[in-house]
Amino acid sequence: MSTGHDTAAASPVKGGAAPGRPSGGGPTEQELKRRKRLSRRWQRDVRWSPYAFVSPFFLLFLAFGLFPLLYTGWASLHQVELTAPTDMNWVGMRNYTRIFDDEFFWNAAENTLTIGIISTVPQLLMAMGIAHILNYKLRASTFYRVAMLAPYATSIAAASLVFVLLFGRDYGMINWALGAVGIDNIDWQNDKWASQLAVSTIVIWRWTGYNALIYLAAMQAIPQDLYESAALDGASRWKQFFHVTLPSLRPTILFTVVVSTIGASQLFGEPLLFDANKGASGGSQHQFQTLGLYLYEQGWVNQHLGRASAIAWTMFLILIVIGIVNYVISRRLRASS
Amino acid sequence: MRARTRIRRKAVVLAAVASLGTGLLAGCADDGDDNNSSSEGGGGGKTKITLGLFGTAGFEESGLYKEYEKLHPDIDIQQTVVERNENYYPALLNHLTTNSGLQDIQMVEVGNIAEIVQTQSDKLLDLSKYGKESDYLEWKWEQATTKDGQTIGVGTDVGPMAICYRKDMFEAAGLPTDREEVAKLWAGDWEKFVDVGRDYQKKAPKGTTFLDSPGGLLQAILSSEKDRFYNASGEVIYKTNPAVKNAFDLTAEAAEDGLVGNQTQFQPAWDTTIANSKFAAMSCPPWMLGYIKGKSKPEAAGKWDVAQAPKSGNWGGSFLTVPKSGKNAEEAAKLAAWLTAPEQQAKLFGVQGSFPSTPAAYESKEVTGAKNDMTGDAPIGTIFAEAAANIPVQSIGPKDQIIQQGLTDNGVVLVTQGKSAEEAWENAVKTIDNALDQ
Amino acid sequence: MTTTLTKQPETASKRSRRPKAARAGGTLHAGPIAYAVLALFTIVSLFPLVWTAIAASRDNQRLAETPPPFWFGSNLFDNLDLAWNDANLGEAFINTTFVAGVSALTIVFLSTIAGFAFAKLRFKGRNAMMLIVIGTMMVPPQLSVIPLYMMVAKLDWSDQLQAVILPSLVSAFGVFFMRQYLLQALPDEIIEAARVDGASSWRVIWHVVFPAARPAMAVLGMLMFVQTWNDFLWPFLVLTQNGNPTVQVAVAGLGRGYTPDQSLIMAGALLGTLPLLIVFAIFGKQIVGGIMQGAVKG
Repeated sequence: MSTGHDTAAASPVKGGAAPGRPSGGGPTEQELKRRKRLSRRWQRDVRWSPYAFVSPFFLLFLAFGLFPLLYTGWASLHQVELTAPTDMNWVGMRNYTRIFDDEFFWNAAENTLTIGIISTVPQLLMAMGIAHILNYKLRASTFYRVAMLAPYATSIAAASLVFVLLFGRDYGMINWALGAVGIDNIDWQNDKWASQLAVSTIVIWRWTGYNALIYLAAMQAIPQDLYESAALDGASRWKQFFHVTLPSLRPTILFTVVVSTIGASQLFGEPLLFDANKGASGGSQHQFQTLGLYLYEQGWVNQHLGRASAIAWTMFLILIVIGIVNYVISRRLRASS
Repeated sequence: MRARTRIRRKAVVLAAVASLGTGLLAGCADDGDDNNSSSEGGGGGKTKITLGLFGTAGFEESGLYKEYEKLHPDIDIQQTVVERNENYYPALLNHLTTNSGLQDIQMVEVGNIAEIVQTQSDKLLDLSKYGKESDYLEWKWEQATTKDGQTIGVGTDVGPMAICYRKDMFEAAGLPTDREEVAKLWAGDWEKFVDVGRDYQKKAPKGTTFLDSPGGLLQAILSSEKDRFYNASGEVIYKTNPAVKNAFDLTAEAAEDGLVGNQTQFQPAWDTTIANSKFAAMSCPPWMLGYIKGKSKPEAAGKWDVAQAPKSGNWGGSFLTVPKSGKNAEEAAKLAAWLTAPEQQAKLFGVQGSFPSTPAAYESKEVTGAKNDMTGDAPIGTIFAEAAANIPVQSIGPKDQIIQQGLTDNGVVLVTQGKSAEEAWENAVKTIDNALDQ
Repeated sequence: MTTTLTKQPETASKRSRRPKAARAGGTLHAGPIAYAVLALFTIVSLFPLVWTAIAASRDNQRLAETPPPFWFGSNLFDNLDLAWNDANLGEAFINTTFVAGVSALTIVFLSTIAGFAFAKLRFKGRNAMMLIVIGTMMVPPQLSVIPLYMMVAKLDWSDQLQAVILPSLVSAFGVFFMRQYLLQALPDEIIEAARVDGASSWRVIWHVVFPAARPAMAVLGMLMFVQTWNDFLWPFLVLTQNGNPTVQVAVAGLGRGYTPDQSLIMAGALLGTLPLLIVFAIFGKQIVGGIMQGAVKG
C-alpha cells in the first residue's frame, strides 16, 4: 500500500539504533578497491538475484492467481450465473452503477466498517499487550504460546457453535451472567449493535493470539542492549515499552494493520456462522452482513457471479483509495513534523 | 569449527528443500496413480460406483450398499457425504458446470431440483429407462422431468406433512387429544388451525406457545398450496400470488397474537425449546419426528401424537441424478434406480424415517408397522401415507429455496421481534427481489 | 563476516547490538499482574476448546438441554472412536499433514527469500512489485475459488492433493510478513559486511537471513500450517472423502442425518484440532530461541 513510506519510516529507527554506521552508507576507499576486483559473476549476482528471489511468488501468482483475477474482472462486466459460469451476457458497467443504488451493499459497507473497528482496534491493542507480557521471562512460556493460538486452531464450525450457545438469548451463558447483575436478556442475534458486538467478539477471540504471536516474534528481534541502556537511563518498564518496543515494531505494526484491514474487509466466516440458519444474509435485517458476506451471498447463494465480481472489484478499489488516503496523510504528517 | 557448522547447516537446509521438492512431486505422482487405478475400477477388477450425498441420505447406514454389493459382486460402492446442503449444492454446481469432480451418482434436494432440471439437464442421464415411472408418486417423478420429457432424477424420499402435537399439553389447555378429533378441529382450513392456537393459548401451560416458530407455520401453509412462488409457465409470482400473501399474513397474525415461539428453526435455541417442552404443536414431516426424538428429554417419550394437517403438503425430500460424464454411468443409473425402488425405500424408512416416494412401499410392513418412541403406539406410517396421498401437484421453480428463506428468515420472524406484518413483508420482498435480480 | 569487526571496530565494541543473551527483552521477569493477565487470557482462549471436548463427551439429547452441560460426560471416547472411524480420519490426517506441511515449508522458504529481497536489496521496480504483492491480498478468496476451480477442472486435478497445495503457495501474506520483519530485524550492516566479504546472495541468505529470520519463519510456518489445515471452502471443492480428503473435508460428513449429532460433530472438530496444538508446542519452542545468535556466529 505504501512501501516507500514504511521503508522511510523504519530507517530513522535504525539510524537511531546504530549511529556508528557510516553516514550515507557509502563505501570507503578501501572497499571501493575491493569491489573493483570483484568478478563479473558477483555483479551479475547482485543485480539479478533480487529478481530470482521474488520470482517464485510472481510465477505462482501468474499460474494460479492471475486467471481468477482476470475472470472476475471480465465477469463483473457481464451477467453471469453460477449455473453457467462461461455463459456471459455483456452488460457493461451496469453491475457497478447498480451498486450505487444497492442498499444492501451500503448496509454491508457500513457494517464492515463498524465491525472492523470494533474488532480490529481492541484486537491489535490486546495482542500487543499480551505479546509484551509473553516477552518477559516466564515459567511455562510454551504453554501460553500454545494456548494463545488455540482459538485460531479451533475449527470455525466448532467455535461458532460454542459462541452461538454462549450468546443465546434465552439460555445463553452471557445473558445469564448479565442477568445476575440486573441486565435484561439481550437478543444477541437480532439486535443490531448487540449482534455486531457479538460477531466482533468472535473475531477478537479468534485473531488476538494470532497477532500477539506476530508481535512476539518481532519483539524477540529487538536488541537487548536497547533495553539495557534505556534501563540505565532510568526508564521504567512502561517507558521502555513506549520508547524502545513500539518504535522498533513499527514495520510489524504496519503489517498487522494492513493485514487486519484487508481481513476485516473480507470477513465472512464468523458472521456467516453466527446465524447459520439464516443463510448468508447476516441476520433477518442484514444487521451484521459484512461486504465479504454479501459477496459470498451474491456469488454462492444467489449465484450471480457477475454482480459478486463487481462487488469484489469495488471492494478492491475502496481498499486502494483507503491506502492512498492513508499514504497521503502519513506523508503530510511526516512533512509537518 | 565455524566452517563445519556452516556446511552442516547448509546441508540440512538443502536436504530439507530437496526432500520438500521431491515430496511434492512424489505426492502428485502418487495421487495421479491412485486416481488412475481407481477410475479404472480399483478393488480387484470391480466396478467402483461413487455417490455424492448430503446429510439426509442414509443409504450406507441402512445397509443398502452391502446388500447391493452382495447382489452384484462386481460392484464396489463408495460415498462422499457432507452434512449441509448449503455446502453441498454450490459445489455440485461448480462440478456440473465444469464437468469435473463429479461422483457417479449425485443427490439433489427438492428445493434445488427445478434449477438442476432447467439448467443442467444436458449433463445428466435420462433415468426414465432405469426407474419405473409407475413406482413413484406422480408429482415426484414430474419434478425431475424436463419439458422435453427427460427424467434426470429418481425420487428418494418425500416429506408428507402432518401436525405433531403434545397430548399432555393439549389436554392441559382443554383441547381434545385423540388424533381424529384433533384433525377435525382444523380440517381443510389453516385459519381454523390458528383459531385452535388461540384456544390453546387461553389456557396454555405457563411459558408455552401453541407452535414452535413462525417459520414452521409459514412453511406448512405454503407447502400445501398448489401454486406458490412460480406459476405453471415458470414466472415468479410470489409477490402477487394471494395464496402467498394470505399465508404470510396468517402467520404474522399468529405471531402477533403470541401463538408461535420467537425462534428460528434448527438453531440451538430452538432445539432447547423442544427439550424443555415450550410448545404444543409443530408442522411435522416424518423426518421431523426423528429430530424431535433426537432433541427431547427421555421423559417426553410417548407424549406426542400425529394428526393430519389442515391441508397436506410436502416438506423436504431428494433425488438421485447420474452425470453423463461418469465412467460407469449405466451401472450408476441401475444402482440409483435400485436404491429408490419401493423395497429399498421401505427399508430406509424403517431405519431412518425418510418417507418413501414410492406408494407401493406404503403397504410394506416397515411403513404400516412403523412406530416412534415419541409417539408411542401411533401408526405413523399409515398417517403419513394418507398425507402423502393428498399432496397437491405443485409448480416448483429454480429459486424456491431462496424465496422461501426470504419470506421466513427475513420476513415473518421479524413479527416475533415486534415489527408489523407490513414491515416484515417489505423487508422480505426487498431481500428476495435483490436475491433474484441477476 | 568477521570483517564487520575489523572494518568497524568502534561500532562493534561500543554497541554490540547482537547480545549473547538469546531472548531480547527477556531479562525482565514477569510480575504477578502479568501472570494474572496471562491466566485470564489463557482461560478465555481455551474455554471454547474445552467446551468442545465437553460437548463431544455428551450425547445429542444432553447437549440440547439448558443450561448446557459444564462438565464432561461419559461418551467422549465412544464419540471420538465413532468420529475417527466414520470420517476415516487416519487417511485424512496423513493427507492433511502432507498438504499443510509442504505448503507451510514452501511458503516459509519462498516468503523469506522474497521478503528479504523486498526489505534489503535494491532493484528496479521493487516498490511497484511490492504493491502488486499486497494488491493480490485484496482479492477476496471466497470469490476467486470459482474461476480457480474452472482452471483445476481443465487440468483434471480433482481428488489430487496438488490441487490444494499449489494454489495455496501464492502467499502475499508471507512475503509481506517477512519483508516487514526483516526490515526491523536484519541490520543493513551485517549484509553489507557479508557483501564486502565477497559472499554471494545465496550465501547471504543461508548465513545471514535465515538465522536472523528464524522466529518469524517459525511463526509464519505455524500460521500457514494452521491455515492450510483448517481450510474448507477450496479443499471441499476439489477433494472428496473417497478421493484424498483433508481433515476438514473428512469431518464435513459427520453428524449427517435429519438430526445432526452435535456430539459427533464436536468430536470430529476436537480430533481435527488436537494435532495442531501438538505442532504448536513443537514450533512454539523455536520462537523462544535467540535469533541473533546465529547471525553473530555465522
